[in-house]
Amino acid sequence: MKPKVLLDKIGLWSATTVASAALMLSVMPMTASAINVPTEVTEVGKDTYKKYCSPCHGEEGKGDGPLARSLLPKPRDFSRGAYKFRTTPSGSLPTDEDIYRTIFYGVPNSTMIPWDILTEEQRLSVIPVLKSFSEAFEVRKPDASVNVGLEIRPTERTIAEGKKIYEEKLECWKCHGVEGRGDGPSASEQEDDFGFPIKPFDFTTGKFKGGNSPTDVYLRFTTGLNGTPMPSFAKELSDEQRWYLTHYVLSLIKPEETQNK
Amino acid sequence: MKICLSECQVMRKIIFFSFLFGFLGWCAISLKNISAQQQYTEIEVIDGGNVIGNVKYVGDLAAVGLDLYRDWELSDTSKTPSEKLIFSKINNGLKNATVSIKDITKGKKKRIPTIHPIIDQQNNIYIPHVIAILTGTTIDILHGDEGMHNIHTRSIKNQPFNLGTTYKQRISKKFDYPEIIKLSCDLHKYACAWIVVLDNPYFDVTDRNGYFEICDIPPGTYRFQVWHEELGNLEKEVTVHPKETTSIECVYPQN
Ligand code: HEC
Ligand code: HEC
Repeated sequence: MKPKVLLDKIGLWSATTVASAALMLSVMPMTASAINVPTEVTEVGKDTYKKYCSPCHGEEGKGDGPLARSLLPKPRDFSRGAYKFRTTPSGSLPTDEDIYRTIFYGVPNSTMIPWDILTEEQRLSVIPVLKSFSEAFEVRKPDASVNVGLEIRPTERTIAEGKKIYEEKLECWKCHGVEGRGDGPSASEQEDDFGFPIKPFDFTTGKFKGGNSPTDVYLRFTTGLNGTPMPSFAKELSDEQRWYLTHYVLSLIKPEETQNK
Repeated sequence: MKICLSECQVMRKIIFFSFLFGFLGWCAISLKNISAQQQYTEIEVIDGGNVIGNVKYVGDLAAVGLDLYRDWELSDTSKTPSEKLIFSKINNGLKNATVSIKDITKGKKKRIPTIHPIIDQQNNIYIPHVIAILTGTTIDILHGDEGMHNIHTRSIKNQPFNLGTTYKQRISKKFDYPEIIKLSCDLHKYACAWIVVLDNPYFDVTDRNGYFEICDIPPGTYRFQVWHEELGNLEKEVTVHPKETTSIECVYPQN
């Protein structure tokens, strides 16, 4: 190694040391109160993943565990870094909190259960393990979460405005169907980035995979579902319009029908 | 006494972790150095040579070939089978193949266009169908149709995106890593476009008769790579002589 290169290396090395020391000092007290996700893969994380997650998500996170074959939707293949349920813009990686949320609440209408049988420590420890499966986390960082404006109260007017967006401006019905049953003209031909068929969500069931609150629904069509045909509509809508559309989407839930099911 | 002890422990932990991080950071940096072997240095090329050539396809799929230039009128896109494999009936020249030099380490300046190249979506197809760009280039994707489209890419290193757009929307995206990226619309499945991101400026996309041209190459022997969405990769060794134009032919064999 040439001396200059070596010097450079030492320079970089000590710079990183100082920087990370500073980082540790500044970050430690803050994250202790919020969720405290380990930055490195730990033994607890590895064990938890192997025991509870790998039967579906696979030893190497490719979504090909022994149980995966018979499942649809397929367990997530983590190798692309494509996560559906996020607070970050289209295509971005999720934040640790986003991943934690999915592990904590699970994904309704799929075999991904809420992992409340695990301890908090175990749930947190698997997050770095999931991230280590994709090179995306090495080259990119999650973008900042999108701004969710102050919630508007639903009225007949906001719902009617939302209906216009759904039916005319953004043509959600092409995939989700006019009544929101997930049976639009383009519905049958949809597939995800991994090549598996995927159904546009049936709003009438009311069991949203990403959560049922107005904010959850707002975030889904604002950020899109990465790895699926469901796009982000961030470019096309103002904050107000997003609430209108949220109100309309929520108005498509048919409680009577879901009770019968 | 107790307090002092725990403080010491905390300090020790901090020091330990910062060393750990420093070390990991250093590992990552030196690893990058190794993997970035093909680092590219810009030099002034004075006695550069040129390579012109023709990419051909002679396989059985030839029957499916579609001649877009047969009629006077622009073809009806709903009847167009696909843009996947287009070649000339006259010389078997293959359109939309990307030719690049794989192992070049120094050469002409990387010029990132200040006017963004455009992919235009019209009548549900993308124009151009294949675009090759240098890392760091921003592309503008235009929406020229009345209805809704979504612009969906599936890259891993370059941040992917999937954006619903309406008439006259313009989306600008920068591509920072070499990668071959498919762009498509989930509502109009039969059309797609390819963005080929390369990290040196020596590349070209073949025209409708399969011709390409790459200029100002420092003399030497290089591995040329041809990529086509349906036919995959081809490689060819080419020697470039000072101030000369070398002519080559790359043929996708019958399989
Ligand atoms: C019984 C099978 C099964 C097991 C076990 C399982 N999962 Fe899943 N998981 C799934 C399926 C199926 C999906 C996809 C759901 C969908 O896309 O609708 C999923 C999706 C996910 C997602 C994707 C969230 C997103 O935003 O895209 C995460 C994260 C996840 N699982 C984490 C875990 C973790 C951590 C464990 C272990 C504690 C685990 N899973 C165990 C079946 C499983
Ligand atoms: C190209 C087809 C397509 C279009 C257009 C489309 N969606 Fe979707 N959408 C999907 C698919 C597919 C899913 C389901 C993904 C899954 O199950 O993982 C989905 C899921 C959703 C969800 C998430 C539900 C949940 O489980 O949490 C919401 C909300 C949603 N879409 C709203 C909309 C709205 C509002 C529009 C119009 C502005 C729209 N979609 C347009 C395909 C589409």
